[in-house]
Amino acid sequence: MSRGAIIFGLWCLLVTGSYSYAAVTGYSPFADGRRAEGARGPGGVFIGRGGPRHK
Amino acid sequence: MQSENCPNCGAEVIFRSPALPARICDYCHATVKRIAEGVEKAGEVAVLPFDVSPVQIGTTGEYGGKHFDVIGRIRLGYDQGAWNDWLCFFTDNSYGWLSESDGQFQMVIERPIDGESSELIQRLAQGGDVEIGERTTIDGSDFVVAEARWAKCIGAEGELPFAPETDWDVFNVDLRDAHGFAANFEREEGEPPAFYVGRYVTLAELKAKNLRAIHGWKMPVYG
Amino acid sequence: MAEPPEEDPPRPWGEGNTPAPAAPPAGSSGRTVVVPPDSSMAAAAEQFNCPNCGGSIEVKAAGYTVSIACQYCGSVLDVTNPDVQIIQRYEEEVRKLELPLGSRGVLRGTEWEVIGYLRRSELGAYPFDEYLLFNPYEGYRWLDTDGRGWSLGNQLVASPQQNGLVGFQVDGEFYEPFYAQTPTQVDYVLGEFYWRVAVGEEVVAADFVRPGKMLSWERNDRESVWTLSELLEPHEITDAFGIDPPSGGGLPMPHQPSPYRKKAGLFLKIALAAGFALLVVTSLFGGTSDPQTATINLATNGVEQSAKIGPITLERARQAVTVSVRAPGIENSWVDLGYSLTNTETGEVYEADNVVEAYSGRDSEGSWSEGSRSSSSKFSMVPAGTYQLDIYAAGTQWRESGYSSSSGAQVEVTIQRGATFYSNLFLALLVIFAPALWQWWKHLSFESRRKSDSDFSGGDDDDD
Repeated sequence: MSRGAIIFGLWCLLVTGSYSYAAVTGYSPFADGRRAEGARGPGGVFIGRGGPRHK
Repeated sequence: MQSENCPNCGAEVIFRSPALPARICDYCHATVKRIAEGVEKAGEVAVLPFDVSPVQIGTTGEYGGKHFDVIGRIRLGYDQGAWNDWLCFFTDNSYGWLSESDGQFQMVIERPIDGESSELIQRLAQGGDVEIGERTTIDGSDFVVAEARWAKCIGAEGELPFAPETDWDVFNVDLRDAHGFAANFEREEGEPPAFYVGRYVTLAELKAKNLRAIHGWKMPVYG
Repeated sequence: MAEPPEEDPPRPWGEGNTPAPAAPPAGSSGRTVVVPPDSSMAAAAEQFNCPNCGGSIEVKAAGYTVSIACQYCGSVLDVTNPDVQIIQRYEEEVRKLELPLGSRGVLRGTEWEVIGYLRRSELGAYPFDEYLLFNPYEGYRWLDTDGRGWSLGNQLVASPQQNGLVGFQVDGEFYEPFYAQTPTQVDYVLGEFYWRVAVGEEVVAADFVRPGKMLSWERNDRESVWTLSELLEPHEITDAFGIDPPSGGGLPMPHQPSPYRKKAGLFLKIALAAGFALLVVTSLFGGTSDPQTATINLATNGVEQSAKIGPITLERARQAVTVSVRAPGIENSWVDLGYSLTNTETGEVYEADNVVEAYSGRDSEGSWSEGSRSSSSKFSMVPAGTYQLDIYAAGTQWRESGYSSSSGAQVEVTIQRGATFYSNLFLALLVIFAPALWQWWKHLSFESRRKSDSDFSGGDDDDD
């Protein structure tokens, strides 16, 4: 077991671990969907706080 | 290595290499020069080794489950070199030949030629010739001709199953297969031809004991 | 003969003082005892003194030059004296060798003495050195070098088995051909050999290799010899004989094992294991589930219509969401889509756009078609909660086409929990396999350089 092979093994472990994390959480740098800038409801209605809500 | 006697004082002078042309006597410091073929042609031709074998008369060993004693030897020389055939006497009163050539050993046992189905062997028995690399089948295995040469007996010692002469010529053919087995054919002018079959062995697997002690080398312990 | 000294000298011709037995031993078949004739023991040594004063001489060496001088009167002996010539020549030649004759060393557990040296070549080109090693109880071995590395060779007693069309097998190991049958000659010989090899002796040689070993076949009309050599580590030759290891460089040797093979194999194994793990993770967590569908019937007149899907419950802390759309009937028109995924409790909105389109027609080259009637948008890391998906769709005809287009479009939108991000998988596999493939490339590059010298590479050498 050369030193190079051990380092490569750790590298593969790192890649596999990262890949597993991405698979479980659904991460991908190639994903299409983006989080929108502000919160909006369906039909384009802004359903954020829209202002203070005290009485 | 070989020892000579100093021409000046008679002490033993040991030449480690046959190629060494001269050395100083350790006792009287005279220069002793060797006369040997090829010594003067350094760079052009090799010098043949001294006749020093690890086997000697009295060496014992085991082959095929039987114990043997080395009781005799003939030495055969040809233009390119020489080899030894050591006669081995087994405890069941049978014989074998331990053939020593170029540092390698074969143990072969004589057997009658008449029963051999190999066309090549029968052709040799009739006085025919062979080529290096020719193939034939012996005992169901594929053998190839490794050597074929005329040699002259240049030395004999110990107990031998024939008359104690040297200077006779023999045509010797060496065959080997892919599994370490060996076969020899020998034909002497005016004599019935002989055929031997056996295999290549090492001194270690023969569990050889009472080997010759050679100056400057540690004797291995086998078996 | 002088009295034998105390220690036991080698006596190749028997003891000489063994008495003959009184009668042949029982069971003999006419055996006789032979007293060895002294035929080959002619006088083999002479004294050689200084012609000037009769004193003993010595060999003086200055670098590679050797002169023979008298120890007593100091005169340097004339080189025209044949005896002086012989000694001087031998001593000078021996000193030129990288590995001097007479050197002793332990290689792989056995002690060996260097007794002979050959320089051979392919009719003058590509010279290499061969040393003959000797141990009286072990026989002979060969030590070869071409300047790149040392190999220890042993002559085989069993001829190798042919394997396939051109390869050979020894002890179950396969050797592939490397050098085709090549005339090889002796250019220089010094010292002792077990056959009377001389300058000019020629054989036809072929070599077969496997990593770390070389099988050599040499033959002429007198004999056919197989030798098996193993490549030595540089430290083995230094530890045994004290000479410097070869400087290396140049192409890899024919039987040099690739230093990258093991590492590349290991890296690939690790990468494959990681790749497999990625696939398992993808199948466990990377899929989609719980589809909900809405259908909009549009006219392809550019007027926007909307639809809703909900409620959509997302349970995991974070997850992906896939919104896929298909409009199978559209022709030469497109549908613009906008999505808003709103968390009905917090009001957070996630947006995406998409388009499905299909165009076709004929031109000088025949029919063509373009576009895709289905598509998907993937939302990443959407938090848990209850959501509503608002869909805004507008269909438009492709007026410039002049071809017929659909006037309406039935648009089917499906939302599912989760997403299969193939792009993630591809990126992860790439990043995992890249180092492994780099190691493998280094191995292949080494092997390519090693094989470039072979006569059998099937490669792209144009000359010879």
